[in-house]
Amino acid sequence: MVELTTRSPGGVTLPVVEAPRPEDALPKRVTSHASGGRDLWSDPMEEAPGDPEASVIELLHEVLDPELPISLVDLGLIYGVEFDEGRVRVDLTFTATACPCMEFIREDVKDRLTRERWVEAVEIREVWNPPWTRERITRRGREQLRTMGVGV
Amino acid sequence: MSGVEAGLPGMDDAVRTAFRRLLLSLADSKRILGIRYSDWLLGAPSIEAGIAASSMAQDEWGHARLLYASLKDFGDDPVALEHDRQAAEYASMEALDAPFDDWARVIAGAVVVDGALAVALRAVAEGGYEPIEGRISKMLGEEAFHRSLAEAWFRRLAGSEEGARRLKGAVEEWLAPTLRVLAPDDEGHRVLAAAGLTLPAAELRARLAERVSPLLELLSVEMPEPLGLDDWDEGRGRGPGHPAEEAVERARGDLNRALFVE
Repeated sequence: MVELTTRSPGGVTLPVVEAPRPEDALPKRVTSHASGGRDLWSDPMEEAPGDPEASVIELLHEVLDPELPISLVDLGLIYGVEFDEGRVRVDLTFTATACPCMEFIREDVKDRLTRERWVEAVEIREVWNPPWTRERITRRGREQLRTMGVGV
Repeated sequence: MSGVEAGLPGMDDAVRTAFRRLLLSLADSKRILGIRYSDWLLGAPSIEAGIAASSMAQDEWGHARLLYASLKDFGDDPVALEHDRQAAEYASMEALDAPFDDWARVIAGAVVVDGALAVALRAVAEGGYEPIEGRISKMLGEEAFHRSLAEAWFRRLAGSEEGARRLKGAVEEWLAPTLRVLAPDDEGHRVLAAAGLTLPAAELRARLAERVSPLLELLSVEMPEPLGLDDWDEGRGRGPGHPAEEAVERARGDLNRALFVE
């Protein structure tokens, strides 16, 4: 487990609750979107990395927030990464309890990671402890936002 | 670590029942409050006011979602809580049963109801029940914006005769039942407070009074006594009645049931 931040003891994750899907519901993925910096994603790695957790974090540096063009890592949303025999678990939070981009972010993280041949499955755990604040944006994230005229 | 490991097994049955009642009451109130705010996305006194109502509606549903999810640790199915309950099962506050008829009611609701919910949440967070502490502090951060908006609007409306009259009607109608839900004098609340998971009723009332009294003074309204328990529904932690069907249909998403996507 790679912890990107210091979590208070007993940091608790939240199960993702999906709406019930009746038999005749629309197919999954009825929408697609171009956010998350997909056009900038690098090609899949040739070989499985020696330190998969560090590589996962590198890959998440390529996934941009759908609203602010900085990475999820620089925005401070990624709380931890764990890799175990092809299965990746990403602990992440959102900037707001009703963040309108939750689904996009989950989809982008899964899509980017599962491009890699050494990643078989991605589990995303929603974490709210400690809560996200603007202080969690990295120095690099702040600089990127500043060059775009967004003050933090 | 799951919430179950974090403390529920050691919890006494009576405490557990009372805690579930409180969390469901908070979740349902936020769910219905979100709908009441959302009615004013358009048609508020200014475009900015409507956008604020829309943001608050969104926050309330975000908070409700987290609170419903936290009830998984109590053996509930959050999906069923959100999508499968009848209006009569909702534990939301009485002040939310009918739509907010005008902007004065939106603001009175934000001060009295949203204020009471914030007081209740803070008391739970202080109780230190780990699985929801972090979530609540995130919610309270968002609630700070609701409070500043509501208080600014309250002062503004109270400055006109008609605004003051309408605010007064709403707060006089809602304060007593809301105080009773926030701080009921019943066994459930007593065991919960004794377990340290919320505060004693008198202290919760004092906190709400401290929060709203400066605003009530503008209307020459005093904090009332909470309603008695004659018609108290102990199971839901509220008085008789329920939110209007139309609101519950929207809360459950009835018309979109066949359209749910991933």
